[in-house]
Amino acid sequence: MRRRQPAGRPARGLEYLFPAAAAAGGLFTLAILAFLLVFGFPLLVDGRLAGLLLSPWEPDRGLFGIYPMALASLLLALSALVIGVPLSLGTSCVISTLAGPGLRRFLMHGVRLMAAIPTVVYSFAALFLLVPLMRRLLGAGSGLGLLTAAPVLALLVSPTMIIFFTNSFNRVERQVLLAADALGATGPQKLLFVILPAAWPGILNGMLLGFGRAMGDTMVSLMLAGNSPVVPGSVVDPARTLTAHIALVMAADFDSMEFRSVFVCGLVLYAMTGLLMLCFRLVAALGRRTRHERPA
Amino acid sequence: MNGLPEKLLTIFSWLALSALAAALVFLLGFLWMRGLPTLGPELLFGHTPPLDALLFRQQVFDGLFPAVCGTLLLVLLSMLLALPLGIPAGIYMAEYAGGRLRRLFNLFFDILAGIPSIVIGLAGLSLTIFLHRVFPGRVAPSLLVSGLALAMLVLPYLIRTTQTALEQVDPLLRATAPALGASRLQNILRVLLPSALPDITGGIILATARCAEDTAVIMLTGAVASAGLPGSLLDRYEALPFTIYTISAQYGSPEELAVGFGAAVLLLFLCMGLLLAALGVQRRLSVLLLYR
Amino acid sequence: MRYTIFSFMLLPAVLAWFLLPVGTGLASDLDPFAGMRGSIRIAGGTAHIPVMKAVAREIMSVNPQIRISIAGGGSGLGIRQVGEGLIDIGNAGRKPTEQEIARYGLVLFRWAIDGVAAIVHPQNRIRSLSSAQLQAIYGGRITNWKEVGGVDRAINLYTRDESSGTRKVFWKKGLNRGKIVKRANVVVSNGAMKTAIAHDPFGLGYVSVGHIDSSVAPVTLDGVKPSLQNVQSGRYPVARGLYSLTRGRPAGLVKRFLDFLYTPTGQEIIAGSGFIPVQ
Repeated sequence: MRRRQPAGRPARGLEYLFPAAAAAGGLFTLAILAFLLVFGFPLLVDGRLAGLLLSPWEPDRGLFGIYPMALASLLLALSALVIGVPLSLGTSCVISTLAGPGLRRFLMHGVRLMAAIPTVVYSFAALFLLVPLMRRLLGAGSGLGLLTAAPVLALLVSPTMIIFFTNSFNRVERQVLLAADALGATGPQKLLFVILPAAWPGILNGMLLGFGRAMGDTMVSLMLAGNSPVVPGSVVDPARTLTAHIALVMAADFDSMEFRSVFVCGLVLYAMTGLLMLCFRLVAALGRRTRHERPA
Repeated sequence: MNGLPEKLLTIFSWLALSALAAALVFLLGFLWMRGLPTLGPELLFGHTPPLDALLFRQQVFDGLFPAVCGTLLLVLLSMLLALPLGIPAGIYMAEYAGGRLRRLFNLFFDILAGIPSIVIGLAGLSLTIFLHRVFPGRVAPSLLVSGLALAMLVLPYLIRTTQTALEQVDPLLRATAPALGASRLQNILRVLLPSALPDITGGIILATARCAEDTAVIMLTGAVASAGLPGSLLDRYEALPFTIYTISAQYGSPEELAVGFGAAVLLLFLCMGLLLAALGVQRRLSVLLLYR
Repeated sequence: MRYTIFSFMLLPAVLAWFLLPVGTGLASDLDPFAGMRGSIRIAGGTAHIPVMKAVAREIMSVNPQIRISIAGGGSGLGIRQVGEGLIDIGNAGRKPTEQEIARYGLVLFRWAIDGVAAIVHPQNRIRSLSSAQLQAIYGGRITNWKEVGGVDRAINLYTRDESSGTRKVFWKKGLNRGKIVKRANVVVSNGAMKTAIAHDPFGLGYVSVGHIDSSVAPVTLDGVKPSLQNVQSGRYPVARGLYSLTRGRPAGLVKRFLDFLYTPTGQEIIAGSGFIPVQ
């Protein structure tokens, strides 16, 4: 519905600012992509894309593959989700249904406060608390590795997922909830048989959000995961994620292949973001089509 | 009638909550214990007398004052750069955009919001390199570049907050002024924006917190371990989150480590304080929009 | 309020603490900095950082108008960035190659001699290794402390990032260009290496000799202790110079900074940081 401007109103110049600002914002998104492409170009063009994505990282031998880092990123993010999703789902169940109104408000505030904790603070505390603990528990290794970083990362992404899950639980259509109440359903029963099945698009999207955030975080893996550029043999081995790799290879010559490899990392991360966005929209659309949620 | 699945779900959910709460208390309690004793003027000013430091008569060498100043300047700069773009863009998205253009911008801003912060830092660095090649000797990683990069980081969040806040204005209120003859612009400026102001302000405060806490972007665009107070926008600078990271990796003495804990507690207070301020100001906007 | 009064009372004491060394003649070496303005951007080798920070502190105490920023990043970064003109002084813990010097027009200033030593946790009883053993450990052929006479625990290896001059020197002279297994944990500076080993009872790493303090224990290599005397006399082979580089001949504030490193005060600072000052 196009809204018409009534005739004779002054000072419409300001109105040109608004779309210009939006266009600038959109331009930034494209500019970031452009910079990544331009700087990563030599590595991409050499026809070595397959090599880049699949070979190991051995700069002395001229191999600038980011495969170990990509794998480590995936493993770490997935591990963080394996720990974080059940915890977040459970907490969301408590907040949305199982808790009384007072506790509910307290918990929501608490979760919001948790979301404000900086990642560098989590990593700092974990470095001095968790790493020695891990070393003693495992009886081997330096305490730095995927197993140390994953729980901290899970803690980091949980607030986001909890808020998202709780929001989707609360969006389930009132009529359905009222019907369940009328049939005498208790809280857990409502959760099990009505809310959780109905809110599956929200749950899926929340997991995607959490995954995106876990993949995109730098400080947790930089400070806790050991940073060795090899494919981790197990979860207790040190590893280097794409994000930590970007932070570490800053020192190389700006024209070297080594340095340009970080732009390929950036492109991979950018592509992952785009992919996640598309999946997000897909799931939301599918969910709307099955009509269990009120439109967002 | 609670069968086994219901009981299991209940137990599991409460256990999940407890586990999360315990982990949080564990980590933060440890931080608190080690960091609280360090709070005091020596944390900020080291051996330099505070008055001299505040009047810029002497530089502070073993305190957090330069880092705190750096963070404050950085936040100020990035918000100054982001607000004039973010708010108008949000207004555009809520009030003017339609159809395919709106969907396109939605996609762009969603992607921008989802880009990992270090990739944004990388883009900032490449901009620096590029400008350095074109104008040699004049551009380097500095406060200005970091401010620009951070502005890019929080821009999508500001746009979304403004857009959602405007969209949630009561439709009755929205229709009143035009019914009385006001133009669309007058309606926005005089009715919609003021009524959405609490939510927008809350969003701005949260964006400020995001600028203050980010490490990955500033690591690549100008934050260094030791620089004193920045003399100009083109200088390198210290910042609180980067100092925390540097100290954690390479502290030379227990005193330095204590400063690290103090810095972590300080940053925590800063971000929590900003969040509480935002919650106090806004009505009900979900923190979810900060989904980076 | 009470705090302000208290700090005013402390003010004379603190000022005296600052002015006293100035009064006892250090002022003469710092005179060239009086009345100057400007900034110096320094980055590169992490071994140099304690000296750079101490020197910067002296200069900025005498003249708060001067701004000196110091970053790490490793020798490689120091060489590249000073060559590209992004910084004023680049620090390197290895001698730049002929190629690098020619490409960027670098001017070298060597102001200290340092060594690179293998280090272990103070509680580790193994304090002596042969070159062959060191190469085997870093090459991945020896993986357990018991194979060199210690407890039955895996050796946690630590190494530096690829830009590091310390790593280059250790690899060339300590490991005889042997392989460094990729599984080693990567740390980004000498300080970080020290922190890592100080916290890991089963770790092995390498660090600048000047950085060694009571939190880590140096490892004797082929019977030669990595002490300053041995580095200076040449008995300990893994030695290197600490360089500061500029692009072209330095001038103004930068020149005075570099000159200061060769004055008695500067050399005292260098020696105090654990290196051997050089003229």
